[in-house]
Amino acid sequence: VTAILISLGLLGGGAATSIALTAKPRAALLVALAAVAVTAGILLITALSILVAAHTDQPVTYSWPMPLGVVRLAIDGLSAWFLGCVAVLSLAVAIYAWPYMLAEVEHGSLAAHGAFLCLLVASLVLVVTAADLVLFLASWEAMSLSAFLLVGFHHRQPEVRRGAWMYLIITHVGTAFFLVPMFGILGAHAHATSFAAFREAFEHCGPRTGALLFVLGLIGFGTKAGFMPMHIWLPVAHPAAPTPVSALLSGVVIKTGIYGILRLLSWLPPLPTGCGMAMLALGIVSGVLGVLYAIAQHDLKRLLAYHSVENIGIIALGIGMGMLGQATGQPVLATLGYCGAMLHVLNHALFKGLLFLAAGTVIHSTGTGEIDRLGGLARRMPVNAALFLIAAVSICGLPPFNGFVSEWILYGSLFGGAFGTAASAAGPAVLGAVSLALMGGLALACFAKVFGVVFLGEARDPSVHVHPTAGLMRVGMSILAASCIAIGMLPGLFVPLTRGGVHAVAHVPPASFSASLQGVIAPVAALSGLVLLLLVLVAGLAIARRRILRRNGCDLGRTRATWGCGYAASSPRVQYTASSFGWSLVESFRCLLWPARHATELVGCFPATGHLESHTPDMAEHDLFAPLARAGIVLCQSIRTVSWPWGSPRSVVVRVPGDRVGPMRELVTHLVGVLRRGSIHACLAFIVLTLLVVFFVGSFTSPRSSSSRPTVADAPRPSEVSK
Amino acid sequence: VSALRVITAIPEAMAIVALPPLLLSIITKTKAWFGGRDGPPWLQPYYDLHKLIRKGAVYSRTTTWIFRAGPIVNLAALLTATTLIPVLSNDSLFGFRGDVILVAYLFALGRMFTVLAAMDTGSSFEGMGASREVTFGTMSEPALFLCFAVLAIATRSIQVSDMVGSPLAGTWGSVGPAMILVAGALLIVLLTEACRVPVDDPTTHLELTMIHEVMVLDHSGPDFAFITYAAGLKFLLLGSILIHVVLPNRGWPIFVDLPLRVVELAALSVVVGVIESCMARLRLRRVPLLLAGATVLSALGVVLTLTRSLA
Repeated sequence: VTAILISLGLLGGGAATSIALTAKPRAALLVALAAVAVTAGILLITALSILVAAHTDQPVTYSWPMPLGVVRLAIDGLSAWFLGCVAVLSLAVAIYAWPYMLAEVEHGSLAAHGAFLCLLVASLVLVVTAADLVLFLASWEAMSLSAFLLVGFHHRQPEVRRGAWMYLIITHVGTAFFLVPMFGILGAHAHATSFAAFREAFEHCGPRTGALLFVLGLIGFGTKAGFMPMHIWLPVAHPAAPTPVSALLSGVVIKTGIYGILRLLSWLPPLPTGCGMAMLALGIVSGVLGVLYAIAQHDLKRLLAYHSVENIGIIALGIGMGMLGQATGQPVLATLGYCGAMLHVLNHALFKGLLFLAAGTVIHSTGTGEIDRLGGLARRMPVNAALFLIAAVSICGLPPFNGFVSEWILYGSLFGGAFGTAASAAGPAVLGAVSLALMGGLALACFAKVFGVVFLGEARDPSVHVHPTAGLMRVGMSILAASCIAIGMLPGLFVPLTRGGVHAVAHVPPASFSASLQGVIAPVAALSGLVLLLLVLVAGLAIARRRILRRNGCDLGRTRATWGCGYAASSPRVQYTASSFGWSLVESFRCLLWPARHATELVGCFPATGHLESHTPDMAEHDLFAPLARAGIVLCQSIRTVSWPWGSPRSVVVRVPGDRVGPMRELVTHLVGVLRRGSIHACLAFIVLTLLVVFFVGSFTSPRSSSSRPTVADAPRPSEVSK
Repeated sequence: VSALRVITAIPEAMAIVALPPLLLSIITKTKAWFGGRDGPPWLQPYYDLHKLIRKGAVYSRTTTWIFRAGPIVNLAALLTATTLIPVLSNDSLFGFRGDVILVAYLFALGRMFTVLAAMDTGSSFEGMGASREVTFGTMSEPALFLCFAVLAIATRSIQVSDMVGSPLAGTWGSVGPAMILVAGALLIVLLTEACRVPVDDPTTHLELTMIHEVMVLDHSGPDFAFITYAAGLKFLLLGSILIHVVLPNRGWPIFVDLPLRVVELAALSVVVGVIESCMARLRLRRVPLLLAGATVLSALGVVLTLTRSLA
């Protein structure tokens, strides 16, 4: 805890010096970034020593005069884990930000930016170590505000202002309407403001109180984390922010939402099964829709922001399985679920941070983030391409990098739930496993698209010029890449570090942690051997090919043009674009995405110039929140008219794309159309879907009821006919 | 581990390494027989590999190291998966609990690098093939995992060699319909992943209709030999999972079982050859329906198995 206080002091000093040096922006930024980097180093060592020792510090109390309470700091395994995530990413970002922000010196105040960066890191540290309600809420607010100020760096651009305001409004709606009531209930029930008192007071609370608190916390913290319907600030705020800030936002700021949910679960007794299922459902929806929207994006940072939604969904799957494991009394599932979720929090901070930084380098050196204008960057910036590739393979969950380890543990919990003893958990667990597989496949498609279009092939737009990147940027990114590789290669070292956090949330004793972890899957160290085998095989094949080619007398330096299938007048413009690469998937899932496509029809032998435009507006934004906002405005206006009839009513317009047909209407039209066409596939699909729904409802309401069984036993016949 | 097992492992490993081209040859021969032709010699795929190994390679000037890494990573991933899957015998070399997920993700790793190598050439045809490959690969993934879920629920394990072990024989007795559905879904996944008709036609000559073949247009020499061998190996691996699901461990002595598995794999190749001879490739827009069908079949399998195991 002393280390925390030292680092808070350092950050405060950094921020103050930075403000004092406003006249010399470069020096101010340097001081601020150095403070962040040094603090991050101290915090990393602190967090690691606590995680390795797995002992829990007694909460340290300081009687600092605050209106409603005292300043209490405590670090347990859960805090230390999130502290570690904050520290690693801040270190990399601080190193990266120096050359990046220097180039932005004309666009805004670097001194203020540096100060807010210090403030953001300080409030992040306080959020994860606070052990008192008032301190937690105060630092939560400080975090939201400093993040808002950091996002608005390019505040002269209207879309940046829109992103920053949207973030501020949405995060405050979540805090005001859900978090404050939740903490109100907690505080009123416990007659205290300290987190330790919450735990004692709610150890034996009823399922209804628990569920109510959980739902409030899920929506409140979920707004920050970016679960699917509440995610709409992510794809707007991330592209608006300067790259180092985007990396911090996506890597750790949204993770504080996850931290909040886990912290809340640590106070409550095992919640009813329904809560775990709600969490799983939210995870499935966020994950699948997040990655589908990502495939449909054209902007690099917006695409990465939607991937954050996907990964938050994956983390939610783990938390959901952990809750189900607790509810059904299976510590194995709880351990696997929470451990997978926590490991994925760290992994996502690492590879998403790296992706944002690498994408920022691309935007920095080319001046555009539009995927379809880029191309062939791997030959211009090979190091950056390799770093981006490491992060892309990690985020797809592929071996030998870190994403695979956490997804593997999550699969362990999901499959363990599928053949576990609890009837009610089996169906959702299988559904979760399948959607995780689908997310993996879709993420692969998405990153094959991004990497293939941005870095491979030929440059698409000759007007895009590539400027060299600074070496320090590469240093910052290499820290993250090295961590990705280390966790992927040696998971046996890193996975046991989560035991303190799992103990805090699920009350699984640290001694039985490794035994529980190995209930379904083998020790994670087994992966290391296979990864080694894979690498040895790759190296062996590469050497073999080199020797074969040399023996055959082949000149390796000689290159030719790409085979154009007989077409000689090829140009870089005929390459496949990102939009066309992703279109077949977007088209297949159009009933979930509602993509819009406008094209001029080409007629005749010598058609005139045509154009094609496709975009995929966010359904939650335009069909859920826009009507809500409009209703709110109408309500406010009518209140104003009643209470203040003298002023002229000002009309506020909520922006909605003009030609948008509501998805429900389109869905119904589509369904009726399919049924009227009499397609046998569609009818069979409807039958099967109905059966599945009946089964899930049946298993949900009464696990042992025999009413759903005969229905299901009849099920294979129609599909056997269809074969 | 008995001494007999160690001794039989050597011919088994040699058979696994030697089999992939032969299975492709059996498919070609079956199709030739259906077409009333003699077809190429039985050992033609081996001759082709030998010829490719003795050639040089030509690389496009658009490409980077990714292009050269593609075939190598793909083959290495499949070879790693080979050590986890029970191919001929009923156990695997390095199996551990949870390896089924590693197998699926190793296939995905191979796909990722094949696709990236295709994108690296900057050719529009190869981009098109890559787009189709990831689309159909994504759609076959849920079906594959649902099949795995059925096996996992039935055998209470997520280790490949246990999932296709002797408890599965009992499952065929108790939830036979579910297992039939799983076998059907796995066959569709096999045809998709191994790029066979009705999803892809490996013998087509029009680039616009290809999927896998168009992605590897620019590879030559030893690289192309790796790719051809890897295609056969993928067919062998998925085929052996299917064979083991349909005919689980019978507990017969290993010197009877091993040759029998080779015969069964040959029979599977004949079945695939017959399918290829009897039907044309589906239109590209119909392929998602086929894969959705496989997903639905396996989902029903899960429902059946769950109701039976929970009752």
